[in-house]
Amino acid sequence: MSKKACFLFVNKEYTLDGIRSALGLAVENMYSYGVIMYNEFETISDYHKENIEWVRDMEGDIFTTVDANVEKLGLTKITLEEIGEKLRDMDIIVPYGIMRSDKS
Amino acid sequence: MKLLNVYRSEPNDDVKKLVEIVSKDRDVVSFDLNVENPDYDKMLDMVFDADQTICWW
Amino acid sequence: MAKSVGIFVTSPRYMRHVVGITKAAVAKGSKVKVFFSWYSTHLTQCAEFPALCEMENVDVSICADSYKNSGYDVNDVPQGLDAKKMATQAQHGVIIDDYDCYLTL
Repeated sequence: MSKKACFLFVNKEYTLDGIRSALGLAVENMYSYGVIMYNEFETISDYHKENIEWVRDMEGDIFTTVDANVEKLGLTKITLEEIGEKLRDMDIIVPYGIMRSDKS
Repeated sequence: MKLLNVYRSEPNDDVKKLVEIVSKDRDVVSFDLNVENPDYDKMLDMVFDADQTICWW
Repeated sequence: MAKSVGIFVTSPRYMRHVVGITKAAVAKGSKVKVFFSWYSTHLTQCAEFPALCEMENVDVSICADSYKNSGYDVNDVPQGLDAKKMATQAQHGVIIDDYDCYLTL
């Protein structure tokens, strides 16, 4: 049975490469998810947009707690409580990179 | 389901909330890596004993 | 037999934990795999990195794309690392599929 993994991204400088890691697990036949917390992205490159689309094509998704990312990037909205519930269903949980205290 | 929460730094309120939800109705233990000399041997015993380990930031 | 341990490293802050956990696991008879991704590839420049690579029962690899995107030349293989271990995110999949215990640092 395919494993389920969820990455949590809390630092802007670590997020887009982290999504590449999430895609890496999707191509390894896992259900792979990511959640972008705190940080807003005005735009992202076509390369990174494609990575998100590939994750979705392989039955994963990239969620965000930030409304602007839903509007500008078309990401799926999720609340903190919903993240917690989702994590309960995961085999692998990846608090990715480093935490930023300023939440910028 | 035995869950081990490992903390690499002091958890913020959001992390505490996630830990609370993930830990609900589970057999939960924790280990603090955010100390000067962590007992890695003890931590590994806890990792081996757990069904899942989450290393929070 | 001791359980095996896989460590996915994504933070450049915790080399002391990577080394400490790996040494403790090997002392317990565990097989350990460590995969460095994104900015954690800066840890390849740490004095402890070559010794980590040379430990018995420890498999160290890094994400070559991350290494390059962190400002390094992929032809400049970090000291101690086998060039074949300049690898892809598939190494993360190996940790999850083939190792008993999963850690993120």
